[in-house]
Amino acid sequence: MTPLPIVLVGCGAVSQLFYAPALRVLEADGLLRVAALVDPVEAARERLQQFFPHVPGAATLAQVDTPRVCLAIIASPPRWHAEQTLAALARGWHVLCEKPMAATSAEAEQMIGAAEAAGQILAVGHYKRFFPSSHYLKFLCGPAGPLGALKSFSIAEGGPFTWPATSPAFFKKKETPGGVLLDIGVHVFDLLLWWLGDPDDFSYADDVMGGLEANARVSLRFGSTRGRVQLSRDWATTQRYEFEFEHGDASWTVNDANGLSMTLDGAPFALQGTLRGTDGTAAATNPQSFIAQLQHVVTAVHNRTPVLIGGREGVRALRLIEACYARRQLLNQPWFSPAELSTACLRAVNP
Amino acid sequence: MIVAIIGANGFIGTRLVEIFHLGGLHTVVPVVRRASSLALPARFALDWRIGDALDVPSLSAALAGCNAVVHASLGDPRQIEAMPAVLCAAAAAAGVKRIVYLSSASVHGQAPEPDTTEDTPLHCHHAMDYNNAKVRAERAFFRGCAQHELEGFALRPGIVFGPRSRWITDLAADLRQRRAWLLNDGSGICNSLYVDNLVEAIAQSLTARSHAAGAYLVGDGERITWFEFYRIVATSLGIDPATIHRLASVPVFHRTTQERISRLVAGRVGQTVLPVMPARLKTMAKRLAATLTPAFPTPDRWRLSDAPQPRLTQELALLQQCLWQLPSDRAMQRLDYHPLVNFTTAIQRSLAWLAFAEGRT
Repeated sequence: MTPLPIVLVGCGAVSQLFYAPALRVLEADGLLRVAALVDPVEAARERLQQFFPHVPGAATLAQVDTPRVCLAIIASPPRWHAEQTLAALARGWHVLCEKPMAATSAEAEQMIGAAEAAGQILAVGHYKRFFPSSHYLKFLCGPAGPLGALKSFSIAEGGPFTWPATSPAFFKKKETPGGVLLDIGVHVFDLLLWWLGDPDDFSYADDVMGGLEANARVSLRFGSTRGRVQLSRDWATTQRYEFEFEHGDASWTVNDANGLSMTLDGAPFALQGTLRGTDGTAAATNPQSFIAQLQHVVTAVHNRTPVLIGGREGVRALRLIEACYARRQLLNQPWFSPAELSTACLRAVNP
Repeated sequence: MIVAIIGANGFIGTRLVEIFHLGGLHTVVPVVRRASSLALPARFALDWRIGDALDVPSLSAALAGCNAVVHASLGDPRQIEAMPAVLCAAAAAAGVKRIVYLSSASVHGQAPEPDTTEDTPLHCHHAMDYNNAKVRAERAFFRGCAQHELEGFALRPGIVFGPRSRWITDLAADLRQRRAWLLNDGSGICNSLYVDNLVEAIAQSLTARSHAAGAYLVGDGERITWFEFYRIVATSLGIDPATIHRLASVPVFHRTTQERISRLVAGRVGQTVLPVMPARLKTMAKRLAATLTPAFPTPDRWRLSDAPQPRLTQELALLQQCLWQLPSDRAMQRLDYHPLVNFTTAIQRSLAWLAFAEGRT
């Protein structure tokens, strides 16, 4: 198999911390070769060139010269995803777009339409679906789940913002259309939609008072299953997903790719364990799950097979986020004085 | 007034932004050290800026166009000492005249002598490095104000609590884990200050007349003992205050070898010598330091399950020995400071925040 040329678009923190090490592993394995690094900021390109010293850098996609069959990884800030994806597709490249796949679902639809019209792959980077624990939870939530029907769930994810953002783009409304819901919530929603399908009803509240939310709460109903999601960039949450089934409970720690805890009804103790394959082999770790996602997309390009999370699947979480924002209510912040609360309500509605 | 808030992402800075902005008191310019600290200020449509509190050009650029500045930045002792000179030089360069600097009641120690007031001479012989750093920092602040002809107000709050305060979160955690403790039944005085009351003192400092510049102790209106503080938090969390450990004495705290070495490294001599020290010598010094640090003893496998033990810290041990309520009289007289929120309401709001943060509301 000829190594697939990769164009990495966006050389910020996600590329440095995730894509660069994963690409290097798969490059050494002969599956792909990094052909170009694209970022308007020279210093950002140079940081990535420490991983790939002989790979040319470019300020824009237009300056990149690569063969026609190629995979572009779009890892820039979300406001550029649509424009860069459309440009890559127009050049005949396949695309793996980092989450959220676009700034709006309308942009995402454009991207999907362009990929389908060109017959090219548009994959979305929801790598948490590649966690063995995510697969196990899907099994538990499914109709054959051994713990019975899911009665309720409670998800708490996030903490003080520590992502090594190289620019303040995360906090500029012009650059990023949402706060913690868009950033962390897109993963949570992607998993929930994968496990449980579309919700029948939901309500949403956050602490936007003219800017971007740092705290968000979502209540959802899937049939008779009710659940709540707490997201924060402000304060450390428990970082736990808790599920209450008919015959027991399961819980998962955020980003623990191969660990789960379970309590069976009537059992004297809870179980906490590491997942293994049925043949006893170790299940993938978090970095290995990220690598697995890349392997999966590259193999799909080589074999012309469908990807697990294509554009149509990826846009679902984005649509739910937009629906939440459309129903936005101000979170009750009980330490505010009545005067502050009154202004906060005004700012929430009319920034 | 356009007010820059340095350290706008911290627990006090966050509340300052909320009250000033939502209360319509001032136009707020939050200043933070790095982009990742913008999560809370960015909830509002504000002209936030990135500025390094340890770098004059960076900070003065962040203060451009402001009428006053509040300094609420945190740091380690070395940073605490270095920040005031930078603050004053940056303010002067940006043309900002009025500065409110958050000093600390700990300049008088955690357990100040009875009759301590703002006039009590300060010293740098406290047991904790933090206190000594705050003393040196406050002195540097007033030196800087004099040098640059600035109007400097240094506030000395005690135990500042409220939403996002460690005095609430740590206490709640200790109570839940049965690790909270009280010395002498908690009869010591907790010089509490609800964060909203501190903001009120800051607001008064911003508008006070120039000749009122100086240092001010600020506290809540009530005299609160540590027992009362713990009791009300415990009760609100559904925990019986009788389960709090009661101690008749606290151990003497000695610095470990590792702490002594870290202190030496962080000190002026260490910071002067380290950059010119050959790498090989540094490695040898680290190895030597490692041999001086006793290995952690392996616990005996044959023992009963551990019962929760009190979480003893030197700071809390000293604080609980306090027998003097620091007076806010001078702030009341010269700044017209009056605590706006009473202690009961303050605790209720703080615990309501805790429930919010824990997703219980």
